[in-house]
Amino acid sequence: MSLNIIVLVKSVPDPKTPPTLKVDGSLDLKNVKIVVNPIDKYAVEAALQLKERYGGKIIGLSLGDHDNIDIFREIIAMGVDSFIYIKDPDYQRFDTLQKSYVLSKAIKKIEKDLGRVDLVLCGVESSDTNMGVLASQIGEWLEIPSISYVDKILEIKNGSIIVKKIIEDGFITLRSRMPVVLSIADTGYEPRIPSLRDTIMARRREIPIWKTSDLGLEFREIVLKTVRFKQIESKRLGKIFRDEDVDKMIDRFFEELKRDGVSLLR
Amino acid sequence: MNSRDVYVYLDVVEGKISINSLSLITKARELAKILGGGVGAIIVGRDVKKLVKDVEEYDIDVIHIIDHPKLKDHDVISYSKAVSEILSKTRPEALLMISTALGKEIASRIAVRLRTAVATDCIDLYIDDYKDPVSGEVSEKTIHCIRYVFRGELSAVVASPRQRPFIATVRPGLYPAPQKIFGRKIEVKEWSIEVSEDDLMKTEVLEIQKIERKIDLSKAKVIVAGGRGAKAEGFKLIQELASLLKGEVGATRPAVDAGWTTPDRMIGLTGQTVKPDIYIAVGISGAPQHTIGMRDSKIIIAINKDPEAPIFKISDYGLVGDLFVILPKIIERLRQLKS
Ligand SMILES: Cc1cc2nc3c(=O)[nH]c(=O)nc-3n(C[C@H](O)[C@H](O)[C@H](O)COP(=O)(O)OP(=O)(O)OC[C@H]3O[C@@H](n4cnc5c(N)ncnc54)[C@H](O)[C@@H]3O)c2cc1C
Ligand SMILES: Nc1ncnc2c1ncn2[C@@H]1O[C@H](COP(=O)(O)O)[C@@H](O)[C@H]1O
Repeated sequence: MSLNIIVLVKSVPDPKTPPTLKVDGSLDLKNVKIVVNPIDKYAVEAALQLKERYGGKIIGLSLGDHDNIDIFREIIAMGVDSFIYIKDPDYQRFDTLQKSYVLSKAIKKIEKDLGRVDLVLCGVESSDTNMGVLASQIGEWLEIPSISYVDKILEIKNGSIIVKKIIEDGFITLRSRMPVVLSIADTGYEPRIPSLRDTIMARRREIPIWKTSDLGLEFREIVLKTVRFKQIESKRLGKIFRDEDVDKMIDRFFEELKRDGVSLLR
Repeated sequence: MNSRDVYVYLDVVEGKISINSLSLITKARELAKILGGGVGAIIVGRDVKKLVKDVEEYDIDVIHIIDHPKLKDHDVISYSKAVSEILSKTRPEALLMISTALGKEIASRIAVRLRTAVATDCIDLYIDDYKDPVSGEVSEKTIHCIRYVFRGELSAVVASPRQRPFIATVRPGLYPAPQKIFGRKIEVKEWSIEVSEDDLMKTEVLEIQKIERKIDLSKAKVIVAGGRGAKAEGFKLIQELASLLKGEVGATRPAVDAGWTTPDRMIGLTGQTVKPDIYIAVGISGAPQHTIGMRDSKIIIAINKDPEAPIFKISDYGLVGDLFVILPKIIERLRQLKS
C-alpha cells in the first residue's frame, strides 16, 4: 500500500504574542510574527507516522496572504515530501466558506497530478479564529466523509481507515471509507522536532506558490463578517514568578501569598 | 411563521433530547421577539417522533421533524443533509445548535450545503443593526454572535447580514431552561428525506468508550490538578499536596487517558466544572477545553515549565519551572508551616 496524504497547515499570528487592537476595534497585524498554527504539527506528525507504516507521499498545503514562506520549512524539515503555498491578497477577508472552497479546489488539482488523494489531514482548530470547521467543510465541498477531533489513527485496510475520535463523554472508534478528511487533536501524537541536518536541507527546498485565480474561484461572496474585536480583561492577579534559584522563587511566592492574605493550608 | 424565525436544533442523546440544547429555546425566543418571528425546533434521527411529546410544552411554535430508520448516530453526512433540507425549505433567520464535537461537524457541513455562514463556540448572541464598513449599507436587526478568538485572549463579534440562515453553535450551559407553557399546541411538521446507502457506507461506528463519573469535585475547596506534564510520578506529588491541603486531585483529559488518575477526576468540557477556593494546575497548558471547567475558581495557581503556557494568562500566581523540582519544595515548605 502507498498513501497519498495532504496535510493542511495554516499560518497564524504567533499565539504567544496575539495582535493588539486599533482604536476602531480591528486587529493591528502590522507587527505580528507569523508562525505555523501550533496544533497543525500534530496532523503533520500523524501523516509522517502513516507514511512510515504504509509508505506514500505527503504534501503540505497552506493558504494565506503573506510572503514569509520560510515558516513552512519547519514542516518540510519534519519530513513532508513537498509543500505548496496558495497566496491570495484578499485572504484576510475570507471566511471559512471561502477558505475551505479554495483549499478543496487545490486538493482537486493536486489529486489530478497524483492520480488519487487518500487522506486529507488538518489540525482541529486555528489558533487565531478558533473555528474548528475546516475539516468538515472541505469534506462537504469534496463530497467525502470527514472526522474531526481524531485522537489516533488506528489502522488502514482495504480502502478503509479506523480512527479513535474524541467526543464529549469519551471516545468513539469509527471506520470510514477513504478518501476522508481528518482533523487531528493534540492528544494522541507528539510532533517530532526536526534534526539540524533536516532543517538545513529544508532551506534549499522549493515551495511553489499558487494563486487562487488559477484554481478558479467562482464563489466570492463573503458571508461571515467580523464586526469588531475586544480585548478580554483578565481579572487575575497575574503574579508570575521566575528564577534560576527555585528556592528564592518559592520564597517570593509564599511571601506574596502572605501579603495577599491567601493561605493554602486550612 | 416568517423568514425572521429563529430555529433550534434539538440534540438527541441516548434517546432523549439533551437539556443543553433545550436551553437554547430560551435564547431563540428572546431573539425571535426582537426580530418579530417565531421559534422553531428541529429534531432529526431514528425513532425520534416519540420525542415530540417531551418538548411539546416548551416555548416553541413549530417542530420540524425527520424520523428515518436509516439515520444512525454519528452519521454526520446524512444528518447535515436532513437539517439542510428543512432549512432550505423554511429559510429561518438563524439556526442555533449546541457546540459539541458532533454539532460543530454538522453545522460546518450545513453551511457549505446552504452557502451560508457558520460561527462556532459562541458565548452569546444579540441583535443590532449591521452597517457595512465599505458600502455603508445598513442591515436592520441582524443577529450578532460573540465568540472567543486567539485562544481566548480576544473576543470577536461576528454577523451574517445577508445570508440566511446564520448557523451558530453555542457553548453549553449559558442559558436557563426554557419556560413551559401548559396546554399550548405546537405545530408539528414531518419531513421525509432519502438516506442514501452510499452515504451510510462512508462511516460506521465500531465502538464507544464512555468516561464514567463517580466523584463529585464541585464541592472541593482545594483542587490540585495534574496534566500531561505531570506524568505518573508527578501525580504522586499531586496526591501528596492535595492531602496536605485537604483537597481533591483533579486532572486534564490526557492525564486521564494515560491512566495516571481515574476518569472521574477529569475537569473541563468532558469532565466536571469546578469552582474551588484554590485551584493548583500542575503541568497543564491551559487548553480551552480544560479551562472551561475551572476558570471561575477563586484563586488559580499554575506550575509550568513553559513561561508562555496559556494557563498563566488566567492565573493569579504562576511558578515557571520544572514541577518535579518545584512541587517537592512546596510540599516541604507547607509541612514546615503546618508543624
Ligand atoms: C471534544 C473534546 C473534549 C475535551 N475535553 C477535555 C476536558 O474535559 N478536559 C481537558 O483537560 N481536556 C479536554 N480535551 C483536551 C484538550 O483539548 C487538551 O488537549 C488538554 O486539555 C491538554 O491537556 P494538558 O494541559 O494536560 O496537556 P498539554 O497541552 O500537553 O500540556 C502539558 C503542559 O505541561 C507542561 N510541562 C511538561 N513537563 C513539565 C514539567 N516537567 N514541569 C512543568 N511543566 C511541564 C508543558 O509546558 C505543557 O504546558 C478535550 C478535547 C476535545 C476535542
Ligand atoms: N488558510 C489555511 N491554510 C491551510 N490550512 C488551513 C487554513 N485554515 C485552516 N486550515 C486547517 O484547518 C484546521 C482547522 O481550522 P479552522 O477550521 O479554521 O479552525 C487548521 O488547524 C488547519 O490545519
